[in-house]
Amino acid sequence: MTPDGNTTTRGTTLEIGDLLRRNAPIFLSYLVVLMLFVAGVAKSTGFGSTDNIRFLAEQATFIGVIGLGQTLCILTGGVDLSVPWTFTGAAILTSILANQHASKLPQVLLLVLGLAILIGLINGIGVAYAGVPPIIMTLGMSGCVEGLMLVYTGGGISSYPPAALGNWVLDTTVGLPNLLWVWVFVFVVGIGILNFTTLGRSLYAIGTNRAAARLAGINVRRMLLVPYVISAVGGAAGGVLLMGYTGQAYLTMGDPYLFASAAAVAVGGASILGGNGHYIGTVAGAFVLTLLNALLILFNLGTGYLDIAYGAVLVSAAYIATQRFSAR
Amino acid sequence: MQRLRPILRHLDLVAVMPYVYLIALALALYLKFPALLTGPGRLNTRATAVFPLALIAFSQTLAIATRGIDLSVGGLVSATTALIATHSGAKGFSLVLLVVALLALGLLAGSITGLIVAFTRLQPFIITLAMWSIWDGIAFVVLPVEGGTAPPGLLRLLLGNVAGIPKSVYGVVFLYVAWLWLRHTRFVIDVKAIGSDEARARLVGVPVAWRKIQVYVLSAVFAVLAGIYVSAVTDSGAPNAGDQFILNSVACVVIGGASIYGGTGSVASSIIGAFVLLLIPDLVFAFNLSSFWSVFFEGFLLLVAVTISSVVITFRQSGAG
Repeated sequence: MTPDGNTTTRGTTLEIGDLLRRNAPIFLSYLVVLMLFVAGVAKSTGFGSTDNIRFLAEQATFIGVIGLGQTLCILTGGVDLSVPWTFTGAAILTSILANQHASKLPQVLLLVLGLAILIGLINGIGVAYAGVPPIIMTLGMSGCVEGLMLVYTGGGISSYPPAALGNWVLDTTVGLPNLLWVWVFVFVVGIGILNFTTLGRSLYAIGTNRAAARLAGINVRRMLLVPYVISAVGGAAGGVLLMGYTGQAYLTMGDPYLFASAAAVAVGGASILGGNGHYIGTVAGAFVLTLLNALLILFNLGTGYLDIAYGAVLVSAAYIATQRFSAR
Repeated sequence: MQRLRPILRHLDLVAVMPYVYLIALALALYLKFPALLTGPGRLNTRATAVFPLALIAFSQTLAIATRGIDLSVGGLVSATTALIATHSGAKGFSLVLLVVALLALGLLAGSITGLIVAFTRLQPFIITLAMWSIWDGIAFVVLPVEGGTAPPGLLRLLLGNVAGIPKSVYGVVFLYVAWLWLRHTRFVIDVKAIGSDEARARLVGVPVAWRKIQVYVLSAVFAVLAGIYVSAVTDSGAPNAGDQFILNSVACVVIGGASIYGGTGSVASSIIGAFVLLLIPDLVFAFNLSSFWSVFFEGFLLLVAVTISSVVITFRQSGAG
């Protein structure tokens, strides 16, 4: 289930074989990443240049940063459909407030972080304590946040990030853009939570069998709050980063990320039923979607074809993930 | 609380709530701005807006009753309006042929989704999410930007009045009455049995795979019908015309009191849910708020409705156990 190699008593060869078999969908998703990349290089040699690889990684960062929260939600058998509007809302709020109070960017970011945590908590409380199905809870929340943002902005804004933020996102530290360092941080947090904490094990347990998890002494309700809070914070961070990266914030900027974040998790081999999957797979999923986008541009195909390709990849990936499920 | 339990168990609060929402919102609108509710032409406007949503909510109710969901309806509506807009003037494409071809497309789309749902372990949420993306993509390829026109014959056929009553009203009433007949049929009983406990349904001889295929075919065909109607009403096509129907149809079902976990649902309640949902923009207008508030209140109403039904269900279960 998890690439934690939690089989210390067995022989090394068996351990590796076991690891490979159990994580077949994750390895497969990396294989797809490799194939798509090779296809790109075959079409145009510039595709394999360091600059282009860095560009692709930057593009994938936004799905990757959102993807951790979405992975954790899906792991528990839920899903977070409010991501697009925490994403857009955080970006727009930051740009408007920071441009009004130019010197107070840290305070603005803290406020946005606080609001994101609040959104995540409301989602989590609805799911965990009121027993509301996650799809509906986060859908309703998405509508509420969208409505409030529309009212706040008057429905038509395209605004610019504070200069300091844009500079920070694009600046490099030790050879990597800060944007990518954020993803590295999210990656470390994700691996840390899933492999080395009780929280991670509890989330797997809840997703596999909620009643059994409760009987095993896990505080299911409190644990269920965490994925939704992380998802909201990740969504807000993704929005602020994208605004800094592209230099603008607009009301539809988050729209692609509902499908993209859920698809990245599914392409990464997780079961939407919960209990199965890992952030390492989601990272591959983020790259698969980004590479597809880049390849279709390379082959001069428009957004329509991208949507078709995304759909086809999602069904195929989900099918492969269920194959593993039935083989166990 | 102890004394409340038997009352709650006999009064099916979840089934009553959609009517409570409808009466409350309609009353608020009537007191604040009666012309929006009863003024001339309002019946036609309301039924015209409700009919396509009611069509999709009809099949969405059945999909959700099997413990599934159909998110692909939005893509199919968009693809239908795009195909009509690009083929309405084409030679050799009579109106009848166009409609037959579109219905065949719906049949094909529903069969693909239904077969995948019935014969793999994939979740309907993921399958139909992917199908939504695929049909949306096809709509974009066919018609990249909003435009085109619908065939004039289609407008004559679907819009206007018969015997002084708007055709849209007949449509909504037809769907409501169709459900009153359908709800006692083997089909709906099987669908709910699948949603309550699929393994047990299979054991008692319910043709599970066949019923699921039927549900998704019905859903796709209804989405195409809604797309045809939307084309006629807007007299154009748009590659994103259907997006609003996905979440709204699910919202109608939930406001109608059905559980997203399957086994329950009433199309009649979902149609009431459609009326409730579409009263919100009018109410926002009546209270002189910016129209953007309606997006907020739609989400908020969805949360209120789902919280009430979830809490009532939890309460009832704890009372029984």
